[in-house]
Amino acid sequence: MKGFGGPLLAVLILIIARIAFPAKMNFITEVSIFSIYVIGCNLLYGHLGMVSFGQPFYLSVGAYSTAIYLAYFGTSPMMSLLIGIGAGVVVGLILGPFFVRLRGDYFALVNLAICAIGLFIVEKLLLPITRGDDGLWYRSRMADTLFLDIRKPDNFFLFVMLALLVVLILFKYMDQSVLGASFRAVKGNERKMKFLGYSTFTLKLTGFTFASILSSFSGSLFAINFGFVNPNLGTPGRAADVLVATLIGGAGTVYGPIFGSFAFLGIRDIVSKYILRWELFVGILTILVLFKFQKGIWGNIEVLLYEKFGKKAKPS
Amino acid sequence: MAPKSNDNLLKVENLEVSYQKLRVLFGVSIEVNPGEVVAIVGRNGMGKTTLFRAIGGFLKKDRGSVVFKGRPIGGLRAFEVAGLGVKYIPQDKQVFGDLKVRENLELGSYATKDYDWDAALNYFPKLKDLLDRKAGHLSGGERQMLLIARALLGKPELILMDEPTEGLAPHVINDLTHAFKEISKKMTLAIIEQNLPMVGEIADRVYCMKEGRIIHTSVDKQEIKDLAFEKCL
Repeated sequence: MKGFGGPLLAVLILIIARIAFPAKMNFITEVSIFSIYVIGCNLLYGHLGMVSFGQPFYLSVGAYSTAIYLAYFGTSPMMSLLIGIGAGVVVGLILGPFFVRLRGDYFALVNLAICAIGLFIVEKLLLPITRGDDGLWYRSRMADTLFLDIRKPDNFFLFVMLALLVVLILFKYMDQSVLGASFRAVKGNERKMKFLGYSTFTLKLTGFTFASILSSFSGSLFAINFGFVNPNLGTPGRAADVLVATLIGGAGTVYGPIFGSFAFLGIRDIVSKYILRWELFVGILTILVLFKFQKGIWGNIEVLLYEKFGKKAKPS
Repeated sequence: MAPKSNDNLLKVENLEVSYQKLRVLFGVSIEVNPGEVVAIVGRNGMGKTTLFRAIGGFLKKDRGSVVFKGRPIGGLRAFEVAGLGVKYIPQDKQVFGDLKVRENLELGSYATKDYDWDAALNYFPKLKDLLDRKAGHLSGGERQMLLIARALLGKPELILMDEPTEGLAPHVINDLTHAFKEISKKMTLAIIEQNLPMVGEIADRVYCMKEGRIIHTSVDKQEIKDLAFEKCL
């Protein structure tokens, strides 16, 4: 499989950044987890052309699945991650067959609707279990894990690096495969894909489920990182976060999610120290991208690298 | 031309199709035999594309039947019809512009499990030099070649082509005409065309359509070559 080095280099740079800036380890961890979330959104939006205003719901599915397991049933963080991933699969396969049949604008809105429903469920309906707005705490219940005690921040950072590496490799493999080409082709001309003999329903369902899994996985990682979840994680108001990060980083690219995550969370963390409304800068950056730099940060860097180094730096 | 048979490969009988409440096809019947080149001619808006879309599974029929190799395909979805060996190349000449030529062909290969590109590209050698170019950067003629080459993957038994020469330069049309003659030695073609000289050169059977009906059928080779059917349009 060509291009194995790219994901490795990306993760190596993150590890070097962590070594160079030890005080920023938590930030880098959060950016990396958020990148996995953005990769899921990138798959839906950047590859399949399906805008979803409800990705926080899928994030919340993973987070609460992990949290509820750790709070009530078990103590293994690894098992809780598997449960989070499994929840993403189940939700993707249950909702997907209905949602992916909808046209673009309806798809975006039905996901917003499910996000609102999900918020109600964790905030009110399952209040005895989720503790509503007070949140669910379980850090003290988490047990040591085999080989690497991910309860410790340093070890958890390494685990997240490994997770991000695996996700990047798999995503890049998908991107370069016929499946990735099929996704982009559905985005370009869905009807033409049917002429070729493809079931575009199956393709869209596959992409939707993958995105659900990635969002849930990142939710589970957030849950373990913070040791605490609350309904705020899945609020519809945060739907734009992941979309904006996807756009800023470079929709449809492999490494765009990392750049987008850095930009979005970096602005939030740095600018918010000086200005209350840090969202203003995110808004300005988004407008700039939409009007001037439509390929996003990484997309434009790719073009520059390709112009300078030619085929050696072939864009993803 | 390939050896022909009188057993129908495709038989459309009394087909009626509507767009919501607007009837477009009125009892259309056509036959396509193996090895034939069948042309559908007529002015714009006569229902030719609607006929192909209905055969290809993109439009539901109101009445009538569409039978391919003895099997009714009238209610099947488009990708199911394609899977049976009927490939439809629409009029719009749209390729997957963001993908390279190579990736466009790979999509065709993956759907059909036919990775023998030589068989398809031999009809259009120019495409071999364009494999790494983005399909969106191809000229109109090159796109049409790509669409046909991609449709040839999987060795379909019937290819429906909707106005393949529309908007193309004369020398490109000559190249395509030559390619169609070669392709028709191995596959059955049904073509919607307004380029009557080309129809006269390659068709074995011509159906003339007017206002959603077949008004004339030509099976006489000389009549077709002389474009005698033109007076029906």
